[in-house]
Amino acid sequence: MLASVRSATLLGVEGRPVRVEVHVSSGLPGFTVVGLPDTTCRESRDRVRAALLSSGLTWPNSRVTVNLAPPGLRKVGAGLDLAIAAGLLAASEQVPLGALAGRAFVGELGLDGSVRSVPGVLPLIDALAEHEVVVPRGSTVEAQLVGRHVVRPVATLAAVAGALTGRSPWPDPPGPADPPAPLPGPDLADVRGQPAARYALEVAAAGGHHLLLVGPPGAGKTMLARRLPGLLPDLAPAEALEATCIHSAAGLPLPPGGLIRRPPFRAPHHGASAVSLVGGGSHTMQPGEVSLAHRGVLFLDELGEFEPTVLDNLRQPLEEGVIRVARAAAKVAFPARLLLVGAMNPCPCGEGTAPGACRCTPRARARYARRLSGPLVDRFDLRVEVGRPDVAELLSGASGESSAGVAGRVAAARQRATARGVATNAQLPAWRLDDVAPLDAEATRLVERKLRAGRLTGRGLGGVRRVARTIADLAGDDGHLAAAHVSAALALRADPAFLEGRAA
Amino acid sequence: MTPDVVLPPAAYATALAGLPGMGPARLTAVLAVEPPEAAWRHVIAGRGWCDPAVVRALGRRAATLVPAWQAAAAGVDPAQVWERVVAAGVGVALAGSPAFPPALVGDVEPPPVVFHQGEPEAIAGPRVAVVGTRRCSTTGAGVAFELGRDLAAAGVTVVSGLASGIDGAAHRGALAADGAPPIGVVATGLDVVYPAGQHELWRAVAEAGVLLSEAPLGTKPERWRFPARNRIIAALADVVVVVESHRRGGSLHTVDEADRRGRDVMAVPGSVRSAASEGTNALLAEGRAPVCSIDDVLVALGLAGRSGTGAASPRDRRATPHGADQPVLEAVGWQPSTLDQLLARTGMSLAALAPALDRLCDAGWVARRGGWYERIAVRAHPVSVR
Repeated sequence: MLASVRSATLLGVEGRPVRVEVHVSSGLPGFTVVGLPDTTCRESRDRVRAALLSSGLTWPNSRVTVNLAPPGLRKVGAGLDLAIAAGLLAASEQVPLGALAGRAFVGELGLDGSVRSVPGVLPLIDALAEHEVVVPRGSTVEAQLVGRHVVRPVATLAAVAGALTGRSPWPDPPGPADPPAPLPGPDLADVRGQPAARYALEVAAAGGHHLLLVGPPGAGKTMLARRLPGLLPDLAPAEALEATCIHSAAGLPLPPGGLIRRPPFRAPHHGASAVSLVGGGSHTMQPGEVSLAHRGVLFLDELGEFEPTVLDNLRQPLEEGVIRVARAAAKVAFPARLLLVGAMNPCPCGEGTAPGACRCTPRARARYARRLSGPLVDRFDLRVEVGRPDVAELLSGASGESSAGVAGRVAAARQRATARGVATNAQLPAWRLDDVAPLDAEATRLVERKLRAGRLTGRGLGGVRRVARTIADLAGDDGHLAAAHVSAALALRADPAFLEGRAA
Repeated sequence: MTPDVVLPPAAYATALAGLPGMGPARLTAVLAVEPPEAAWRHVIAGRGWCDPAVVRALGRRAATLVPAWQAAAAGVDPAQVWERVVAAGVGVALAGSPAFPPALVGDVEPPPVVFHQGEPEAIAGPRVAVVGTRRCSTTGAGVAFELGRDLAAAGVTVVSGLASGIDGAAHRGALAADGAPPIGVVATGLDVVYPAGQHELWRAVAEAGVLLSEAPLGTKPERWRFPARNRIIAALADVVVVVESHRRGGSLHTVDEADRRGRDVMAVPGSVRSAASEGTNALLAEGRAPVCSIDDVLVALGLAGRSGTGAASPRDRRATPHGADQPVLEAVGWQPSTLDQLLARTGMSLAALAPALDRLCDAGWVARRGGWYERIAVRAHPVSVR
C-alpha cells in the first residue's frame, strides 16, 4: 500500500512543501528513509516506531520505505515525524487513505506518543496549500497566524489516529488566551541630559539611519541604544509576520499573542562569529543576529572589539536589506532590513574623546582605528560623541521627555517619508535626492565649503542630505533643505577622534 | 677600508656612535681613553677595556658588548660612513672640538658627538625650551604656537623636540614669526623623520635654524633615546617652559634634567579638568613660576620689555562673531566641549546651534575635532595636533 502525506521543511527562514510517501509491502521487515534526510530526520524511524507502539497502534511487520519528495531538497529536523506516522498508519490500513486528503501534518513525536512543537511552525504552515493542518497543541497560536488554514491542534498521536478514523472528533483548539499587555520597554525619560544623543536617537528612529555612539565607559551608550526600539512605531502586519517567521524558524520563544508586533532588539556579544551574525551553518541554514533584528534594531556594543572580518560581513546586508548565504547544500536569502546601532570607546583606554585626555600610545590608537574599516564607518550616517553626564545633571537634572512623546514625532516624520514612497529616508535612492532633498541656496554654499575643505566626501554628502531630510521632516518643514538642517546633520556626523583626518 | 685616505676623527666617532648599545655614556668613556681612530681599532680587535670609567660604563654587559661591537664593526667601513655624512650635508662636532656647541660645553652629561644640520651658530643668545605632551588639547597647541611665535619675535631662540603635539606647535610658531632661528633636538638620526608626517617641519627648522641629534644617520627611534634627547634640550635652554603635560610624561623628564642643571622651569596653568594639564598644574603646585604670557618668560630671562622690540604679534584678523553667535562662543569656552554640553549650556535647539557653530568654525573662532568643539585663540594656526 502507498500513502502520500503533505508536510513541510525549513530552508533558512522559509518553509518548503514536502510530500511524504510511505510504501508498505511484503518483504523482509525493515524501514528506510530516502530523499536527503538529515540525521535528526533519519532518526524519525525510531521515534515513530516507539510512538506508534506507545499509542496502542500496530507497527507493520513488513518492508517500509519512506520517500521525502522533492528528493533534491535537504529535509531538516523532526517536524516530519507526524507526517511519516500518519502515512504509515494509512499505508498499513489502520486509518482510511482518504482521511489524508486535503490535510497536512507538522510535528515531532515523543517516544510516549505525544506530539511536540518544532521550530518554524509559522513559516512551515505558511508554505502549505492544504485546507487543514494538523499541528502540535503548543504551536496552535503560531499556526493560526497564517490565517488560511483550519488548524487542528493535537497533543497525542492516539488523538490523531482517532480523529482520522472518525472514532473521535478533533480535539478543540485551546481557547484564545488574552495576550497580556506587553511590558513597557525602557523609557527615554530615564536619560538625564545628553540632548544631542537623545536627538540623534530620534533622528535615527525617524529616518532609519544607522547610528554610531562613541564615548567613554559609563557615558550611557548602552542605555541610550536600548531605548531606541521604544521610539519606533509598531510593525505593520506584513512586517510583523516577516519578523515572526524568522524568530519562529530560529526556534526562539514568541510573545504571548504569537505575533511580534514590536520591533525586535538584538544585542549580540562582541565574541560573535561571522555565522552567528549573518546566518548560515554547514547543514541547517539558521538565521543570524542580523536577520533576527529584521525590522528592528541590531545593537553592537563594543564595536571595536568585534573581529574586523566579522564586521565587514555586515556591509552587504546593510546596503541591500537582505543577506545571501551560499553553502554547498543550499543558497538562502535571509531578510535583514534593520537599524544598526554601534557603540564603542574612542580608543583602548576609553578616555580618548576629549582632546588631550587619552592615555593610549599613538600606535595603540592606530591599531584600534584599523579594527573598523572605512566602508563600515561610512554606513553610519549618524555619529555622536557621548560624554559622561555631569554629576549635577545626574542628581538633580530634570528627567527628559518620555519615549511616547518622541515616538509621536517619529511616527509623523515616518508618515512624510511613506508619502514619498519609501519606508524611511535612509532608503532614499541617490537618484531621488535632488527631487526629494533639494538644497536651498545657502545650504548649497555650506555644502560646497565643506566639500572644498575636505570635511565631506561625495558619498558622505548623500548621507548628510538624507539625515537633513529627516531633520526637516521632524521639524515639519517640507520643501528645500535649509542650511540649518544641513548644519545639524553635519553636527551629528562627528568623526570619532581616532578617525581624524579622514573626511566625513 | 681604503688605507690611503686619511679620515678625520669625526668619521671614526660617527662609526663608533652607530654601534649597537653605544649610548652617550659609553661613547664618552671610550673616547676619554683614546682618540676615535684608536678606539675604533680597539673595537675591531675585540679587546676589552681596563680603564675603570669604561668598565663602569659597560657595566655587567661588557662580556656581551665587546664581541657584539666587534661583530658589528667588522661590517662597517668608516670611510663609507663618512661619505654618507658628507653627502647628507650633516655636520659632526666632537666634544672638545671648536665646532662643538659652546652651550653644551661643561654640561653634566654632554653628548660625546653632535650631528647637526643648518646653522650651528644659531645656538647663541637667549634660549627657551618650549615642551609638552604629544597628546595635547587644541588650546595647548594654540598656547605653544603663540609662545613660540612671540619668543622668536622677541629674539629668543625656541628649543624643542620636533615631536607631534606641543613641540611641533612651538616650532611652527617660531617659524611663523620669522625671528630668532629655532633649534630642534631629535632622538633619531637626522635622516629618520619621527614621527612620520613631520617632514615639512623638520626641513623648515633645518632651513631656518638648526637641527641637532646625538644619533648618527640612520638611527631608528629607540625608547631610551627620547629621555636622552630631553637632557640635551634641557642643557641647551636657559628656561624650560612646559605648556601641557599629563601626570606622567616625557616633558616631566625634561624638567628633571633642567633641575639637574639648575635651569629655571616654568609651566602654563591649565584647567583642573584637563588631563593634559595635570602635570603642569602639579609643577605649579611645587612652586614653579607660571607662564600666563610671553612677558613672564622674558622676565625670567631678564629680558623684560623686549616683547615690544621684535616684530609685533600680528593683529587678530578674525571677523568679530555675529551677535547671535557670541553666546555660543562663550558657551564653547576654552575647554573641549561636546555637542551635548553645548546644547545644555545654550539651551538652543540643534537646528539653531549647529549653524552658529559652523559659522564660528569657518571664521576661525572654534575648532572641531571629532565630536568636540574648542575655542581657539589664534586664527587658523597650522597646528596638526597629531
